[in-house]
Amino acid sequence: MSDVVQLSLPVRADLVVLARLTAATIASRAGFGVEEIEDLRLAVDELCLSLVGGDSSGRLMLEYSRDNDVIEISCTYVPDSDGANQVHVEPNESDLSVRILEALVDEHGRDTGGDQPRAWLRKRRVHAAL
Amino acid sequence: MDQTFDIAEQTIDGVPVVSVTGEIDVATAPGLREHLQALVASGSSTIVVDLLNVSFLDSTALGVLVGVLKRCREAGGDLRLVVAEPRILKVFEITGLTEVFSIYPVVAEATAG
Repeated sequence: MSDVVQLSLPVRADLVVLARLTAATIASRAGFGVEEIEDLRLAVDELCLSLVGGDSSGRLMLEYSRDNDVIEISCTYVPDSDGANQVHVEPNESDLSVRILEALVDEHGRDTGGDQPRAWLRKRRVHAAL
Repeated sequence: MDQTFDIAEQTIDGVPVVSVTGEIDVATAPGLREHLQALVASGSSTIVVDLLNVSFLDSTALGVLVGVLKRCREAGGDLRLVVAEPRILKVFEITGLTEVFSIYPVVAEATAG
C-alpha cells in the first residue's frame, strides 16, 4: 500500500521544523525505529537546506510517500511567481550536508536543471520500533 | 520541538561556558553564531560550548561551530564542545568533525582542557 502526504511551506527558517515533524510522524507510524526516525528527521532538514539559500523566497513543496518498508521524500523549491524574487539563489548543498545525507539515507539525489529545483531521498526501514 | 531554544552563559575557572538548550537548526543557529562571535570579539579565545541539552543539530549548526572554531584558533585559543547524547555525537562522527573539534563528555573536563 502506498500513502502520499504533501506539505507546502513558505520558505522560512522557523518552518523547516514542520518538514521534520511530518517526516518523524510518518516514519513512526510506518514502524521505523527511534534511531531511524532521528536519521530521517535530520535528512529531510538537509534536503530542504540543499535547495534554498539565505535570501530565498517562495515555497517548499514536500511529498512524503510510503510503500511498505520504504519512505521516499521529495522536496521541490517553487520560487515566487510574482517576479519580485526571481534572482538565482545558489543552493546550500554544503559538503557537510552531503556527508550527512550520504550517511543517513539509502539513496538521495537532486534535479536542479529546471526552474523548480528538486531534491529527494529514500530510506528503507531496517529495525522495527520497540 | 521538545525544548525551547535557549543560550545561557557562565564562567568556570576563567573559561566562558555557553550552554545551549533545544534544537540548533537554520532558524536558531544565527543566534548562537552571534553569541559566540561576540564572545570572541570581546577577547575570549577559548570557549566551551555545552551541547548536553541539545536535542537536534544540523549542518547549519555545524557550520556555525566550525566558523567560530577558526576564529578561536586564529586568536590562539580553541572551541571545546561538550557532547554526551549519542545521536548528537553521531552528527559529528558522520561529518568527520570529531577529528576537528575537541569533544568532552562533561563540562568539567572541557574547562580543564
